[in-house]
Amino acid sequence: MTQVQLNSVRKQFGDFVAIENLDLYISSGELVALLGPSGCGKTTTLRMISGLERPSDGAILFDGRDVSEQSVQDRNVGMVFQRYALFPHMTVEKNVAFGPSVRGESRTEIARRLDEILEVVQLTPFRDRFPAQLSGGQMQRVAVARTLITKPSVLMMDEPLANLDTKLRLEMRRFIRDLQKRFGITTIFVTHDQIEAMELADRVAVIFDGRLAQFDTPERLYRCPRSLDVADFMGATNIYPGKLLSRSRVETALGEIDCPHQNDRSVGDSVHVLLRAEALDMNTGPSASEPPGLRGRIKTRDFFGASVMYRVVCNDREIDVTENARRMLEVGDDVWLQIAPEHVWLLSR
Amino acid sequence: MTARERRVRILQLLQLMPILSVLVVLFGGALVMALLQSLGFAPWFGINTFPDLSYFGSLWGSRTFWVSLWLTLYYATVSTLLALVFGTTLALALIKVFPGKRLYKYLYKLPLMIPYTVGIALAVIMLGNGGMLSRVAAFAGMIDDPGQFPQLLKTHYGWGIIAVYVWKQTPFITLAVYAVLLGIGRETEEAAAILGARRGAIFFRVTLPQILPGIVSSTLICFAFNIGAFEAPFILGGGFPDTLPVVAWRYFNDADYTLQLQGMATVVSIGIVAGMILFAYLWVYRRYERRMGRH
Repeated sequence: MTQVQLNSVRKQFGDFVAIENLDLYISSGELVALLGPSGCGKTTTLRMISGLERPSDGAILFDGRDVSEQSVQDRNVGMVFQRYALFPHMTVEKNVAFGPSVRGESRTEIARRLDEILEVVQLTPFRDRFPAQLSGGQMQRVAVARTLITKPSVLMMDEPLANLDTKLRLEMRRFIRDLQKRFGITTIFVTHDQIEAMELADRVAVIFDGRLAQFDTPERLYRCPRSLDVADFMGATNIYPGKLLSRSRVETALGEIDCPHQNDRSVGDSVHVLLRAEALDMNTGPSASEPPGLRGRIKTRDFFGASVMYRVVCNDREIDVTENARRMLEVGDDVWLQIAPEHVWLLSR
Repeated sequence: MTARERRVRILQLLQLMPILSVLVVLFGGALVMALLQSLGFAPWFGINTFPDLSYFGSLWGSRTFWVSLWLTLYYATVSTLLALVFGTTLALALIKVFPGKRLYKYLYKLPLMIPYTVGIALAVIMLGNGGMLSRVAAFAGMIDDPGQFPQLLKTHYGWGIIAVYVWKQTPFITLAVYAVLLGIGRETEEAAAILGARRGAIFFRVTLPQILPGIVSSTLICFAFNIGAFEAPFILGGGFPDTLPVVAWRYFNDADYTLQLQGMATVVSIGIVAGMILFAYLWVYRRYERRMGRH
């Protein structure tokens, strides 16, 4: 169990600044995702934590101990590469035994740990195969086993689910989560896919252009993004400019909407209003008891099996609404939209 | 076989004709002629004692043949090994990032474009007893007179020959190994480093097995060339006993043209030795490949 800390870490390649003043605190045993578009510096961050790159400035601490100047070999970390980087000329068994073997462990100790770890990743029947004879999921499990056998203090993974098909993805996701719980190992992985980040991580660090935009739980990141960029990257589509009419009511082009009480804002402040597509309730007639809601008309409908996404036009503005596919409304139907105040999120403008 | 299959077969054969004719006429024909002559068949010289093993007998029976064979193999092996070490080191350096890399990537290939004979001339100018190195050494006061410079050329140690071969073949091996290195990428080396492997272990256990195909093919070509090359040992060698290609050349060039048959026996001997060595080399490599799971 190792706690990882980055103190104003900066990395520069020539004139290009890959990472600017990154502070990150990862508790021991936590599963953290570094999320961002390609080229944002997330892989560089991972490579610095592993020791493959040295930070240009700042410090990396494991359990409070500065490891910035420590070589890769001495850092005792584990890394699962995106394309697994298995040794193609070695069998599964030799691949997995490589770490303890170069660390000079005894043969009997290696054999014991090898049997144990192959059992954990369910690869015992494949121990004499070469990587080229394995499927993508099996190769990934070999890569994980090869790393875990060295008992790393931190496990790192580069886009762990990116190369897998949907079914295998679910399987690997469970596998990684179970493994991480079982070994209690601090795990950091990199991804450009917000779904992958939310599926796996306890907390997600969103990085844009080498800067940390937000570091939060998936739920908070999704519901309460701190900036328009984060909201956009997390897939939010319904964002409208607005103005506070009172501390709990905001005026937008769609109409007036109730929002949670705003302690830090004052009446008349300009804001962005974020309405999550699945938090909107859609009625086929005006509500009798409550305020009638925003009136609109369905413009398009997309069917995804379990869910349906409607695009509704309200006051000349488009708004996306996602529903369970238990009923189907038709394009052209008149609808009334309602949203509970607690699902409304405001961003400063 | 149906009529259509037969037509396809004939078409395939026709398409193979160009390469087959080159192989059969130029390579196979020459081989057969050399073999026939070495066994005493040369009616155009008025000699036809076929089959006659006496040319091989007198060649293999003399002690100097074995000295010549030893010298041939020694120059070929040492230069191939040195070029391999330098070439691989250079290739490993080239995948790193360093200032001036673009320029250097052009520069190192220069010897590939310069003919061997120019390389030999350079060796004479640089390494000879009246050459640049000896004069620089004398100028720097390391020796009193350029004549005292240790003799590098025209000795049976063959420093000059080896220098020319290594100079010319290092870039060749670099090119081959570098291409393979680019193909395998850095990730397996990085994975090995993270698993705790030091530089030596990374090279011998991860990189080397992966670049072996490039090493084997390039050293095979270099060794085969070195064993049969003639100009460098002829000009820079230590004289009698010469390397086998030079011995063969002397027979061919003799006023007594009947000695050409002896020359052919020498050429065939070179072919047999080179063939056995290269075959053994490939056999060992194939066995290794199979153990590594490559088929």
